[in-house]
Amino acid sequence: MKLIEAAKNLEGFQTISTISKILKVSKRTAVNYAWRLRKAGYLTTAYGGKKTKIYKISRLLREKKGYNFYELFNNYSKIKLSPREDYIIHSEKKPSIEEILARGIDIMEFRVVLGVLGLFNKIKSWSKLKYFADKYDIGRKIGALYDVARTIIRVKRMDKRIRKGLLNGKGGYIINNVKTRDFKNIEKEWKVFIPFNKQDLMVYKE
Amino acid sequence: MINFDEQLDFFKLIGNELKERIIGYVIGGSAMMFYGAKVNTKDVDLVFLSRKELEQIKDVLFNIGFEEKKKMIKIFKRYDIADNKPIMMEGKDTRFDLFLNEIIDFKMTESIVNRVKESHEFNNLIIKVVSPEDIILLKSATEREKDRLDALNLLKKFDINWSIIIEESIHQTKIGELLFPVFLYDFLYELKEDLKADIPKKVLDEIRKISEEILIKKLKKKKKK
Repeated sequence: MKLIEAAKNLEGFQTISTISKILKVSKRTAVNYAWRLRKAGYLTTAYGGKKTKIYKISRLLREKKGYNFYELFNNYSKIKLSPREDYIIHSEKKPSIEEILARGIDIMEFRVVLGVLGLFNKIKSWSKLKYFADKYDIGRKIGALYDVARTIIRVKRMDKRIRKGLLNGKGGYIINNVKTRDFKNIEKEWKVFIPFNKQDLMVYKE
Repeated sequence: MINFDEQLDFFKLIGNELKERIIGYVIGGSAMMFYGAKVNTKDVDLVFLSRKELEQIKDVLFNIGFEEKKKMIKIFKRYDIADNKPIMMEGKDTRFDLFLNEIIDFKMTESIVNRVKESHEFNNLIIKVVSPEDIILLKSATEREKDRLDALNLLKKFDINWSIIIEESIHQTKIGELLFPVFLYDFLYELKEDLKADIPKKVLDEIRKISEEILIKKLKKKKKK
């Protein structure tokens, strides 16, 4: 089968097993198809779970420009997102983990903010994180979410000076009009409303 | 004419010059380039939802060497009598057409905004690309031959959701003056007959029925007056 025909039949999200079913080939051949489609530019990895990877297949041949925020986010985060809309960042450099974390909080969506918690243990430069906290004016939100993250996962210790500096930011809601009864002490310290219950964080224990 | 890379360079330049974050919706050929459905375009069409944002873009374009073109080029039906004409900023090899809230009589509705599938950030300029369905509907209200070819190209590349196009055309007619389903029927009929586009007969029949109903309603209203 020609590649363009395969791309047409497989358009949308697929796994190796769905590719094998649709094209009526063995899983091994499906892996080969996925490899060829990727090489030709028809396939990108939407996100890779523990066991199965999900591929996005499109028959539009497009040269990749910019950096897809959600692709980068899914690379770093345990919580994977499948957004309705692609968000491409056209910048000179690939956005750092610190920038992705700050942008994630700035989006103010529940699942994105929940996914951000897992990024704290991948932070390489606290001062860079402070830079983006100031840029998006979310210092207090970052500080509070860092403390929440520490209650559930192992996170590197934040530099004391940075922690103090984050208190300069704006407080309030992390997600508009969403607050819960848990984490009251963290909310008090940072003057922000945490949008999660303790139960919501169990996804990090699974 | 500019190609996709040049268009991106322009957006980067504008984004770097802007002092505040601005959101613009890209339509027409420029949007098609984002989808990989067109190689180059003559003009970059941008729609803004606020006058302030449009003026800021106009100022930036002026600062980087574009000049406002006073004489309009007729693209859309009713172009001459439309109140909301675009601001045309002409450069050496390209032109930016800046629209506010509507493209002549085609309104930027909430449903169009919600159907956006891609956003591109160029520092302070956020470009949102409207859906292929909305591009086709917009092209149906134009009079240029190349818009027919563009629509044909989109039909070949995308699995078009016809119900979106039909619903939006009815919605546009309700909130505006133009009879979009009538234009759409003519446009799609020509595409099918002349250019052998793959448009289901069921879809054409449905749009024709809607068009007839709208025309009858319009005639009855006129008689009453």
